[in-house]
Amino acid sequence: MIDYEWFIFLSPIIAFPISFTVGRYRRNLAGYIATISILISFILSFIVYLQIRDTSSPVYQSFNWFGDINAGIYIDHLALVMILMVSFVSLMIHLFALYYMGKDPNKHVYFAETALFTGGMLGLSISSNLVEFFLFWELVGVCSYLLIGFWYFKPNASSAAKKAFIVTRVGDLLFLIGLSILYVSLADKVASPLSIAYIVNPSSWPQILNYVGTTNLTLIGLLFMGGAAGKSAQFPLHVWIPDAMEGPTTVSALIHAATMVTAGVYLVARVYPIYLHSTAALDFVLFIGAFTALFAGTIGMVVNDLKRILAYSTISQLGYMFAALGIGSIIGDSAISFALFHTMVHAVFKALLFLAAGAILLTMMELRDVKKMGGLWKRMPITMTLMFIGAITLAALPFTASYYSKDTIIDASWNFFSANGYSLFSFLPWLMLILGALTTTIYTFRFFFLAALGKPRSELASKAKDPSKIVLIPLIILAIIALIMGQFQYLFYDFIYAHTIHVSIPYIVSLAPSMMVLLGLLITIPLYATSGWMSLDLKKSRLYRVVKNKYYLDKLFTNDIAERGIIPLSSGFSTFEAYFSRSIEAIGSGTLRLGSFFRKLQNGIIEYYFVVLVIGISIILLIVELLGGF
Amino acid sequence: MNFINMLQTADFTTLYPEIFLGVMAFIMLLMGLRYKNPRIYSAISFISLIIAIILLLIFDSSASSIFSGVLQINDFGLFFAIIMLISSIYMVLPSTREVPEKPELFYATLLFVNISMIIAAFSLNLIVIFIAFEGVSIGTYVLTAYGKSRRNLEAATKYFFTGTIATSFILFGSAFYYISAGTFSMQNVTSLQSHSVLIAMIFLFVGYGFKLALVPMHQWAVDTYDGSPNSVSAFLSTGTKVLAFLIIMRIFLVGFSLDHTDIFYLFVIISIITMTYGNIAALSETNLKRIFAYSSVAQAGYLILVLAVVSNNYSSYSVNLAILAGMFYALVYIFMKGGAFFSVGLVKKENAKIDDLSGLAWKSPVIAVSIIVLLISLAGVPPTAGFFAKYYLFLSLISGQLWWLAVIAIVNSALSVFYYLRLIVIMFRRNSENEFDLSPSVYYPVVIAAILMFALVALVYEFPTIQTYVTGLFGV
Repeated sequence: MIDYEWFIFLSPIIAFPISFTVGRYRRNLAGYIATISILISFILSFIVYLQIRDTSSPVYQSFNWFGDINAGIYIDHLALVMILMVSFVSLMIHLFALYYMGKDPNKHVYFAETALFTGGMLGLSISSNLVEFFLFWELVGVCSYLLIGFWYFKPNASSAAKKAFIVTRVGDLLFLIGLSILYVSLADKVASPLSIAYIVNPSSWPQILNYVGTTNLTLIGLLFMGGAAGKSAQFPLHVWIPDAMEGPTTVSALIHAATMVTAGVYLVARVYPIYLHSTAALDFVLFIGAFTALFAGTIGMVVNDLKRILAYSTISQLGYMFAALGIGSIIGDSAISFALFHTMVHAVFKALLFLAAGAILLTMMELRDVKKMGGLWKRMPITMTLMFIGAITLAALPFTASYYSKDTIIDASWNFFSANGYSLFSFLPWLMLILGALTTTIYTFRFFFLAALGKPRSELASKAKDPSKIVLIPLIILAIIALIMGQFQYLFYDFIYAHTIHVSIPYIVSLAPSMMVLLGLLITIPLYATSGWMSLDLKKSRLYRVVKNKYYLDKLFTNDIAERGIIPLSSGFSTFEAYFSRSIEAIGSGTLRLGSFFRKLQNGIIEYYFVVLVIGISIILLIVELLGGF
Repeated sequence: MNFINMLQTADFTTLYPEIFLGVMAFIMLLMGLRYKNPRIYSAISFISLIIAIILLLIFDSSASSIFSGVLQINDFGLFFAIIMLISSIYMVLPSTREVPEKPELFYATLLFVNISMIIAAFSLNLIVIFIAFEGVSIGTYVLTAYGKSRRNLEAATKYFFTGTIATSFILFGSAFYYISAGTFSMQNVTSLQSHSVLIAMIFLFVGYGFKLALVPMHQWAVDTYDGSPNSVSAFLSTGTKVLAFLIIMRIFLVGFSLDHTDIFYLFVIISIITMTYGNIAALSETNLKRIFAYSSVAQAGYLILVLAVVSNNYSSYSVNLAILAGMFYALVYIFMKGGAFFSVGLVKKENAKIDDLSGLAWKSPVIAVSIIVLLISLAGVPPTAGFFAKYYLFLSLISGQLWWLAVIAIVNSALSVFYYLRLIVIMFRRNSENEFDLSPSVYYPVVIAAILMFALVALVYEFPTIQTYVTGLFGV
């Protein structure tokens, strides 16, 4: 029998067909069904929370699937935090989507798919086996494809969906290779090699190290990180996420806050013992994360599309999470707490920002250029205030949630520097993260000031107005959480990992992130809070052009690798295919002709049969003779 | 040697099934003087055969050797004896309408054939096997000739002529064996490396290969299956084929040492030619029964793959798996092929063409689905028993490192799908004026065979237990 915990992910998945079929006849019901299914997930998650909050023993139930695959559920504190976050944020987004997608003719499809999307992510979070994890991981990928391309009539949307799917597939492949290596190394030696309960259990590690070996373990760590980089949009597989903005804004909110991009972070955190046993893999995670944090931040500073700015900010923030995980060589399991707390905080404020952006874009008729907005604070005060709360949290202004979560990560990276004997190499992560904080402040206030202050710079902006207060309730809840969540920092840390260390670094260093925020404000206020930016002409600067073109990475992937490499290759294959199918047809007709010939041998005359017989048996004897029998 | 000691009375208890069947056959011949209704005789035969199986299980279950090793009772032979009896049981009841005159003779002959089959299944002596085999052959000549149409007679004549050639091959083979071994008994001959042994092997293989309808000894089969009554075709292509398969397996497992790797090539070449010939010839055939006949030829090729694995002798695991697969294949084969031949009876006219099946799916969905199940089972499509039989057979090939042979066999299965699917498509055609014979004697054999295609899958779960057991099963 399965326990109620299974319905945490089953409820939205069951809602998927129901909401789809019911929605075909009653469009409005679809949204309610999906929302209620996620509410059920959230309530169940909360019950599990009450059940296991004081114990460290997980909820674990599984059955054997293919031999040694123990498919089932495994909910420890880490998974619990994840499902609480996913179901809660997804619930908020669904509530808002009831309003946002209200007029869409295909909204039953939308809600069915978002329910499945959320169900996939919840299933992934509580999988008890990495194979099951991978299946949900793919389910999430497929749903993201469907949802990004939801407005399929927009050519941009369908190509963005394809791009998202293909790029994440690259990561999935790496993940799958890593899984295979791990499985092959352990198969037949342990009862259930890919069981998460087995991997996270410290007592099984001598065995794993013995069977897998440190070299392979590093390789597995790197490959898993490759998979995580695809899903969580880390350099260089981040290129899909800005394009993914072509979907409905609520989908972007789901992808960015709750259901998709956090999967990569969660994967690394889930199999963290693998990384703890391989410093090389940890450093790889750290450097990829720190570099992405800065890299995406710089692009965010020059983009004008409101949603794309938020997209780059997501990439950058995910970089912080990975950086936090990468510091594990110094701080051990505490890294999981740091990363997960930032994941939570990010989910809340990013959902808030996207939903606020959704409200803006709805009244702006999907006009997303921030340079065409302006003066929105006066026209839609509530929405913009909520967005302001999201923005200051993103920029990590003191006493917002991100101030606690992000600055802890930056401080911990200083520890990495000090623990490695102040070498230049180990200084880089801190440097990149702190500069990332500066870019964060700049792009955040740049887009916010451009959108909120000044005079409306387009017809639509001058007519913008707030949506009704009721639909903003989810946003208000999220905003309140974004403001107060930071106060629960250490409670949270200890909930995930009971012995989370408190980072202690020189006071002057700990001030650095706040200094960066201040510096960012000093740059953006004169420039963007006034009309100063209009006289700014960066077009001549080469650096600006490089950044504006996203460092030419997209061009490299689409123009060079895809168009020059893969397309000629595939046309070559298709030519081969054509010849191949023609030759297959020739074989088919040849076989039929041979069949008719055989039938002519079978002419019913028995004397003739004897001839065939004599010849046949002679041939048999001859063959045996030739093979050396006699 | 004291001849009296050879015939211990205790040995006769193991012969109870044979004796019982013989008595019943004579009783039926006597009854023939009064009763003319074939149903009586088919019912008596049906019951007698079931009782024979029960007697077999009771008296022959323990491994023993009687008549100084002439008959060797073991589970391997028992399994095949029961399979062959089942194939007779399967055709007994539906065959009633095909014996218009002298039914007692038909069924008595059938029981005599079964006696020979049981003896052949247990024998380890080439001469006893030969005599038992001839008993089967001559009995089946009579069965084939039953019915008085010209086609029946033609079928029987061809079968008889080729049968005599087979007999001579068997006799020559046995003689060569005697020359090198000095005995007809296949026991205690561990390793014989000489030309005459090889010739003996080839001659025996060719001789018994006639009944299996291996290419190039197959040509009688297509005409004979085509010309015989449906139930007799079903019996010929199942019961006697399984018998020939068993004897060949016996001879090569027990009688000869497995060191003769040359014989491996013989098996491989014959099986490839047989599979390919049968499947390709069926592709362009339009006569329904001949399609099944060709597919029956092809199936024999798959059975010979078992011997290829065994003679290759790569590992005991692959050999055991191959024998297990062969046993399962034989069991499944009886019903899928027998059911297919019975389904020809659906068409009311002589010389059924495949187009005569069109519209069947709309007239009687149940039987159409049953035929589809049989066809996909023959083609080896999951989840039918035919699939598992092929699966384990190919698995044994792969575990014996015969990848290339497995590939050829799989390509052949793919080829066979072509003509099976064509039949399925034709059944679903609309707008046809065809009338079908849906009498119980056609309907039930086909439906039961189709149900068994799923039911027999249950045996697959017992394979691990059987497999450990099979190791000691086929030995002396």
